[in-house]
Amino acid sequence: MTYVTVPDAPLLDIRGLSKHYGTIRALDDVSFTLDRDEIVGLLGDNGAGKSTLVKCLAGAVIPTAGEVYLHGDRKVFSTPAEARDEGIETVYQQLALVDIFDIPANFYLGREVVRGGWRGKLGILNRRLMRKRARAAVEALPARFPNLDADIETMSGGQRQVVAISRAGFWGGRLLLLDEPTAALGVKEAAAVLEMIGAMVSSAETDMAMIVISHNMEHVWSICTRLLILRQGRLVADLPKSETTRQEVVAHITGATA
Amino acid sequence: MAKARSDRGRGDGDGIPATPAGGVMSKLTSRVRFTAMQARVGVLILLCVFFTIRSPFFFTSTNLVNVLVNGAVIGIIGSAMTLLLVARQVDVSVGSAIGFAGAVFAVFARDYGMAWGVVAAIAAAMAIAGINAVAIIKFRVNSILTTLATLVAFRGASKLVMDGRAVRVEGFRFLGRTRFEVWGIEIPVAVIVLLLVVAIFYVVMRLTKYGQQMYAIGANPQAARLAGIPLERQVGIAFVLTGATVALAAMIVVSQVGAVSPTTGERMEFLALTGVIVGGASLYGGRGSVIGTLVAILILAVLDNGLVLLQVQSFWQEVSRGVLLLGAVVFDQLGRREAEVRMDV
Repeated sequence: MTYVTVPDAPLLDIRGLSKHYGTIRALDDVSFTLDRDEIVGLLGDNGAGKSTLVKCLAGAVIPTAGEVYLHGDRKVFSTPAEARDEGIETVYQQLALVDIFDIPANFYLGREVVRGGWRGKLGILNRRLMRKRARAAVEALPARFPNLDADIETMSGGQRQVVAISRAGFWGGRLLLLDEPTAALGVKEAAAVLEMIGAMVSSAETDMAMIVISHNMEHVWSICTRLLILRQGRLVADLPKSETTRQEVVAHITGATA
Repeated sequence: MAKARSDRGRGDGDGIPATPAGGVMSKLTSRVRFTAMQARVGVLILLCVFFTIRSPFFFTSTNLVNVLVNGAVIGIIGSAMTLLLVARQVDVSVGSAIGFAGAVFAVFARDYGMAWGVVAAIAAAMAIAGINAVAIIKFRVNSILTTLATLVAFRGASKLVMDGRAVRVEGFRFLGRTRFEVWGIEIPVAVIVLLLVVAIFYVVMRLTKYGQQMYAIGANPQAARLAGIPLERQVGIAFVLTGATVALAAMIVVSQVGAVSPTTGERMEFLALTGVIVGGASLYGGRGSVIGTLVAILILAVLDNGLVLLQVQSFWQEVSRGVLLLGAVVFDQLGRREAEVRMDV
């Protein structure tokens, strides 16, 4: 897929993004840019605006004010489908998988492929093609699935998360948004998921960037190159990992410094 | 994928052996080695064997065709009802809708001719489907409450249309009383229509993008919405399809009886819903198949027919239907995991 790009423009440029619910400012005048191949950790306490920010980028929430540019091109998303068409894939905190479907059906959820010819006009699914492509994608991943045909409801929390992230990676695109990818996972499972994210980024030939939300700093620290910290809807710090310490990050999250 | 699909949760409603769900079900699973679909077919066969032994009239082609005719109308609206339940919706107004469409059909056929009667019946059924769809989709009213309201309202409306008295319909035999001879057996048109409707819904639900998305909507509406599936549009289409089956069912009923009365269609919503639930669909969405519904409706029809042949007091028919429905609902609840119980749409 090719997108409109302006030379030398950053992959993502957010200017003055705000989301107000009545008098509550869930997101307040947030601006930052993101380059290709960056993995950014988005940190903050509960209610700091992390999820709201990600939802604005994913088209699930419509911002009150502010602008979003992708490769220098202004974008306005009013549905998740519009954001996806621009190459923004999201893995939500509450897993957006259908339990009773297997992996291929979940990969193609909402993007089901129909057959050619008259069958396609009737909307007849091409299950074989979807299965073949999903299998190829899954086999390229570090994670192993025992059975491609197993329904999601038979899988563990970690496996489900890996499926959800794999789906986002499968559709590639320009920007990957991960909302709490390790929440509700055991230590071992979280480690496997993080390893998988790291492997995906290092093996990606595409010019992709990633924003990882978490309130577990250890998890973010292990895979990120840069940290953005939100507090009460405002962006309070934007730090390269090499130039900061965990203590400083924690201080920003809690507001001990300012 | 098609092979792996065929016997699993999504299709037949339960797929007991494949699902290591916790609790009661897993204990059952270790002992019970058949699927719910096989159980349904087994019950149907056992009932047929039982009634064949007990009554010489049961296993005759005339009587078996009667059973099919009795199940035809319920099976036709049950097919659409299955699609609705799969997407976590329900339409309990179909009984009154059949009564209303039938009344409109009879009055228009009497006053303006048969062709206008057909047009008016379709328009009436679609109008009710439209009202239900707008209330549920636009105003976000729960589908049970919406269709309960239209159930009551259109029962009254149909009495208004026919002025509270039965209306005779002359000369409309085709859908209800015409029979074709196939291999020496006289097959009524209504049964052929039933099989066609079931086949169409089978293809739509199992093979198409639309059907796949309806299962997703019922199983996890939030995920479906985030995946960009147009929930409102897809659910709206299901209500329109329900309207189409109602129009068809109304014309069959009127043609069979040759008249419309103030009670035409009464309790058909209950019979269809019983069939759909016994057939493996869940009120929590994501489960059900038209084949399951068809088998369940045949079970109910055989039970009714057999009890009549054995001259069992007719009250027992109602008791047996209620017991079947209760059993199916309890079974559905046992098969679910607590984590799955989400009613947020």
